[in-house]
This record gives sequence, C-alpha cells and structure tokens, in this order.
Amino acid sequence: MTGYLEVTGLSRRFGGLQALNSCSFAIAPGRITCLVGPNGAGKTTIFNVVTGFLRPDAGSVSFRGRRLDGQRPQAIVAAGIARSFQNLRLFQDLTALDNLLLAMPRQFGEAPLGALFRPLHTQRGLAVRRATAVRLLDEVGLAARAGDAVRNLSYGEQKLLCIGRVLATGAELLLLDEPASGLSAGALGAVIDLLHRLQGEGKTLLVVEHNTRVVQQIADEVLFLHQGRLLAQGTPERITGDPQLAEIYFGGVLGG
Amino acid sequence: MVLLQLLCNGIVTGCALGMVALSFSLIYATTRIFHVAHAGIYSLGGYLVWSLATRGVPLPLAVPLGVAACAAAGALIQNQLYRRLERRRATHLVVLIASLGLLAMIQNLLAAIYKPDVLQFSETWGNGVVSVKGIILTRTQLLTVVAGVAVYGLVMAFAHRTTLGRRVRAVASNAFLAEITRLEPSAVYVQVVAIASAIVALPGVLVGLDLGLQPYNGITILLTATIAMIAGGVGSMSGAFVLSIAIAVLQNLSLLVMPGEWSIGVTFFIFVVFMLVRPRGLFAR
Amino acid sequence: MNFLYSYLVLAEIYALTSLSTNLLVGIVGIFSVSQAAVFGVGAYIVAALTMGDLADFVPALLVAALACIALNVLVALPSLRVAGDYFVVTSFGIQLLATAVFTNWTDATGGANGLPGIPPPVIFGQPVSSTRDFLLLASAALALGCLCFWLLMRAPFGRLLRAIREDELAVAAAGKRVLRAKVGAAAVAGAFAGVGGGLYAAFLSFIDPSPFDLDASVLLVTMVVVGGARTLAGSIVGPFLLLGLPQALNFLAIPTTVAGAARQFLYGALLVAFMLFRPQGLVGQRL
Repeated sequence: MTGYLEVTGLSRRFGGLQALNSCSFAIAPGRITCLVGPNGAGKTTIFNVVTGFLRPDAGSVSFRGRRLDGQRPQAIVAAGIARSFQNLRLFQDLTALDNLLLAMPRQFGEAPLGALFRPLHTQRGLAVRRATAVRLLDEVGLAARAGDAVRNLSYGEQKLLCIGRVLATGAELLLLDEPASGLSAGALGAVIDLLHRLQGEGKTLLVVEHNTRVVQQIADEVLFLHQGRLLAQGTPERITGDPQLAEIYFGGVLGG
Repeated sequence: MVLLQLLCNGIVTGCALGMVALSFSLIYATTRIFHVAHAGIYSLGGYLVWSLATRGVPLPLAVPLGVAACAAAGALIQNQLYRRLERRRATHLVVLIASLGLLAMIQNLLAAIYKPDVLQFSETWGNGVVSVKGIILTRTQLLTVVAGVAVYGLVMAFAHRTTLGRRVRAVASNAFLAEITRLEPSAVYVQVVAIASAIVALPGVLVGLDLGLQPYNGITILLTATIAMIAGGVGSMSGAFVLSIAIAVLQNLSLLVMPGEWSIGVTFFIFVVFMLVRPRGLFAR
Repeated sequence: MNFLYSYLVLAEIYALTSLSTNLLVGIVGIFSVSQAAVFGVGAYIVAALTMGDLADFVPALLVAALACIALNVLVALPSLRVAGDYFVVTSFGIQLLATAVFTNWTDATGGANGLPGIPPPVIFGQPVSSTRDFLLLASAALALGCLCFWLLMRAPFGRLLRAIREDELAVAAAGKRVLRAKVGAAAVAGAFAGVGGGLYAAFLSFIDPSPFDLDASVLLVTMVVVGGARTLAGSIVGPFLLLGLPQALNFLAIPTTVAGAARQFLYGALLVAFMLFRPQGLVGQRL
C-alpha cells in the first residue's frame, strides 16, 4: 500500500479556515480511489497541494518515493501527475483537438527560435502529435468533434474533453475533480465507461465525486474526508453504507 | 542645512503624492480597476480651479468647486465607462486600454484648451515664505503637508468608522460575496470613485500652486504613487501614505548625487527592488 | 508621388513595429505601453552605428534587434514573474524612463536636439537613397516580419500564447511553462520594434526623442485596437488608417498649435470607443 502516492500530515490554513488538518493517506497504483466528503472537507485543497498550486503549511507529498511538495505545477505534471478542474477551465477559443495538443509534452516549436528557424521540422512534429491527439479524442469518444471550438461543445462533451486533456499530458496518476457532476444519465455512463477503460490501461485514478451511485460503480476504495482530515477509509459498500458517515455527509451539504 | 531642507521638501512632495496614492488605492482596492485616467482627474482639478481663480473666484470657494467637479467626473467615468464595460464582461486588459484612452483624452483636451506650457496661479498668498531654523517652506507647501495628513486621517476614519467605509472594506475583501449578500457593489463603486476623484483634486491644485500646472505630468506622479501603493502593500492605506513620503524623501535626497531629470530612475529603482525582494509590499493585508 | 511613397513607407514601418504591440497586447494579453521606447532604442542604435561608420545598415539592424530583444526580456522576466498589475507599472516606468534617457543622455542621443544626418541604408554596396527604393526595402522588411508572425502563430508556440491569454492556470496545469512563453513573446516583440526603429531612423535621417514617447506607445496600441488585435490584417490596416488620419484632419482646419493634442485626443477617443463598441477592431479578433 505504501510508496505510490503518499500524503503525510498535510496542513493548510486560509485566514480563519483550517482547510487541511494534518491529513494523511496513501493511494495504491492501478486502482480507482474516490475522495468523498461534505463541502469544505478539503478535497479540492488536497488536489491543489498535490499538483503544486498550493504550498502546504506543514506535511509532505511523495510520489513513487520522491518528495513533490513545494515543486511547481509543471514539474509535477512532468513527474506523472495531472489534474482536471471542477469548473473545466478548457480553452474556449481553441478547438477540441488544440486543447489536447496543447497539453502534450515535449513538443518542438514551443519556443520562438525553433518555430522560426525550423518551421518544417515544427510542422512535421505537429503532424505526428495531431495523429496521437486524434486517437486520444477517439478514446474519450470525441473523434467527431475534433475541429470544433470548445464553446460549441455540449457540457457532457466538454467534461469528456477535460479528461482527454489530462490524458494528453501522458500522466500515469490522474486527479479528476468531479468528472461526472452535472451530467445526464447517458453522458454519465460514457464517463464511467471511460474511467474503467483508463484503469484497464494501467492508469491510476484519484477522483473527487459527490454522486454516491457513481462512487459505488467506479471506486475500488473510498477515502472519506471531513474538516481537513481523513475520517474513514474502505470499500465503497462500507463507506456509503455507514449511517454515521452519511449523517456527516448530508448534514454538511444541507445544514452548512 | 541642505540635507534637512531636502528632507522637508521631500515630506511636502510626499504628502501630495500620498494623497494621490491614497485616492488611487481606494479605487484599486475596491474596484480592482487600474484607473490610469486618475492622473487626468488630478490635472483636471488643478486646471479647473485655475480657471475659476482667474475669473475672480476666491480660492476658498474655487477649490471646493473644483473638488466637487472632479468628484462628479469620477462618478461619471465609473458609471458610464467602467460599469458598461463590466456589463459586457470586458477583460481586465480591455478596461486598462479604455482607461488609457480616457487619460489621453483628458490630458490632451487640457493641453488644447490651456496650452502645453506651464501655467502659474496669480495669487500670491501661497508664495509667502515661512522660515524655521533655516529651513524655508512656502505657505502652499505647509498647506500641502496639512492637507496630506488631514486626508490620511479622514480616509482612515472613513474606512473604519462610517457605514460606507465598512461597505467599501467588505466589497474590497470579497466582491462576489458582497454581491450576493446585497451590498450592491456597483453603487459602492460609484461612491468610492467619486470620493477618490474628489481627494485627488487637492494635490492637483496644491502642486499647481506650488510649481505651476502642466497637462502631461499627471502620469509620472500617478506612476510614483502606484509604486508607493504597491510597495506599501495593496489594501494598506497607511502603507501607501508612508511609502509615498519615503519615496519622495529618497527622490529629494538623491538630488545630492544626481540631476533632477533622473529622479524617475530613483523611483523605478525602488520599484524594481521591491518587485524582486518583497512583491507583496511591506504592510500587505 | 513622393508624398504617397513617404506615407507608404511610414505606414509599413509602423505596421512592422505594431506587430510587437499586437503580439504582446493582442495575442498574449499583456498591457504594454513601452513598445515605442523599444522602437526608439532600435532607432538610436542604428543611428549611432551607421553614423559612426561602425557598421553597415543590415548588421546595425541585427545589433539593434538583439539589443531590443535583450531589453524586453530583461524587463519582462522580473515583472511577469509576479502576477497582477505589476507589468502595467513596469511598462509605464520603462517608457517614461526611456524618454528621460533619450532626452538627457545627450552624449549618446543628442538630447532634445536629436541626431541629424543619419546616412541612408547601404545594402549589398548600393545606397538606398530614393523614397521609392526605400519603399522596396520597407516592403521586404514588413513581408519578412509578417512571415515570422505567421510561422510563430502556426507553431505550438502560438497555440501556447493563445491559451495563456485565456487561462494561464490551466496552461500550467497542463504542464507547460507560462513564464517562459511570455518572455519568449516579449523577446520577439522586441525584435519587431527594434527593426522597425532602425528602419525609421534610416528613412527619416533625423531622430529626436518625440516619436518614441508615451504618446507614441499609445498610438501603437490604438493602431492594434482599431485595425484589430491578433491578426496580421489588423496590424496592416491599423497603421495605414491611422497614419492617414492627420491628412484627413488637415481638412478640418485645426490650428497647428493644437494639432498634436487634437491627434492624441482622437487616438484616446478611438481607444475608448473601440473598447466599448468594437473590441475586435476592424479586421481582428476580440480583445
């Protein structure tokens, strides 16, 4: 269980709010782990700390044995962890294909010198990447929408594209922030199928999710967060079936 | 002694600068708009009062009239320009460019009407000299210090003691929250810009009385004031005022070692140092 | 006819220079009012090198380009590293500082009196002395500049810049280095403005600080705003239109004492009007 993604004693405060309170957990490779908990439990904060967007006040993050806390987001993506955003943050003016192309690592022509002085080499590299990006779009089910601008995609299609962009980085550990929220039944099914397919390809997924049915369908393990720390950990059946946790969860949603 | 004279001159300039910095800070902390055209209001204040004074209006009446006119101009800008842009979901860049355009309009309108040369006030009371222990200051300069400190005190009292002031601070700390809890940011914005525009007319007049009026020097003064605001920590009124005086004093002291045309280099150097070493400023909230 | 050629040459020089503002303001979304300062640095360097017989025109242009690239990178690196309106202050500061240098460093720049007698360009041993010949040179330079702009936008670099304008956080989350790309854009912008400046100096054979001040930077922004941001067409339409404006204003019988202020007032009004009613300019994309 140890050694893949380990979060130890993470603490983070925002003004008067203790978002993370000595939070510790570990993720095993090749599994889909769901991060659940009431609003304000610290789930997105965990994502922000692990992916380098936020420095913790205390604690450490390590991935495959290497310390990651304090590093910049770009370095963490290079190390093999990538995330999606709850509010999508896709590039509206770019096409679906361009959104993926942008995220692909180590491209020639990303610096002005290369783009100017070796234009043919740049275009050749682009052509190769484009083929890969099309395959990726196909994998998430968006091959038909490659040339469409993101603003013209449906919400469900945009959610799939988000996952596509994370995949395009080549990361092996995918942090997905509510990939299934706000979707109709059909679109929901497509996302769930995709997540299972990704697991089959050897990816490890850490998913923040509010929908208990979705959690039950995809999770190998569930981590229940509350007030910035890990409250419970176990199989989906055990966690979603626990009446005390349910009260905290729903109490947090309705009451707070 | 030269050093002390330079120090006092620096405090005088610093108080004028401080009023610019305080007023700009009010707008920036509340609306988040980098209101470049504020430099135009500064100049406008001076010229309006000059126009009134040359038509025989005594200064004690002309100045409040000028201040009121600037307040109205500020309210108009916020209401007609910035609010419209915000409704169209304009980006920060678009608002900046619009403000830049407005600045160009105001400055050049003033230059066309009043000619680009330096214009002097004809009243002479302000030129009366006061001498303390060998340090020479004109009455206008003393008035500038009094006005600066008074404005600082009033702004601090406003922010902490009045209802509008508290609303300003609430909006400044979280505009989104303010919106959904019915604090009506747009009404607050107009009031803040009006007040800030009224304030900035004062240094416009005082510096005009002291050194003469020029249509194009507003931007340099505003730039120095924004550097003071940033170095003092955005959101800190005290920081803005104190740093204004500090920068003005340093600028004046630098006259000992370099000619006056390079004073902008001194200001900029201070800015670069802060940017590299302590970007959040000294007293950031 | 010479008058028409003159107008065309200047329009092309400004079109090349406005590519720098288009890149920074339009493509990357950075507020820059200091490109006229860079334009000026390019002009003074070419003037100094060719007047002092230290270099021929094209090598002088290269030196100017490199110097302006370095200048823009030096300015961009610290100020873009810190988020927010830092770059706005820096940009104003650089522009005002540059004008102070151009006006007061009399030994190098001739001060307010400027530098007269800049020799015409000598290319492959041939002097470019007539306005018509200079038009060929300016057209070639502009064509080259447009080609570079086009190549950059087609490459992953261009896509990166467009994405940064929209959401740089998401770009960082995708593993790309935002600061590096922005500094790269600033470098390229420096080259465009520096080369434009060199051409300007050689064409007019006299330069002083006035075409390189804050008003000039505002004019460059106005050209991009009116022509249209983020497109090559915008960078051509804007300068051609705005340089023709003073001629049109002549018909309005504005006294010469206020002509300068009237022009700048008009540029300001155009900026406000376009931001309110047509942010995409005439042939560009929405800012």
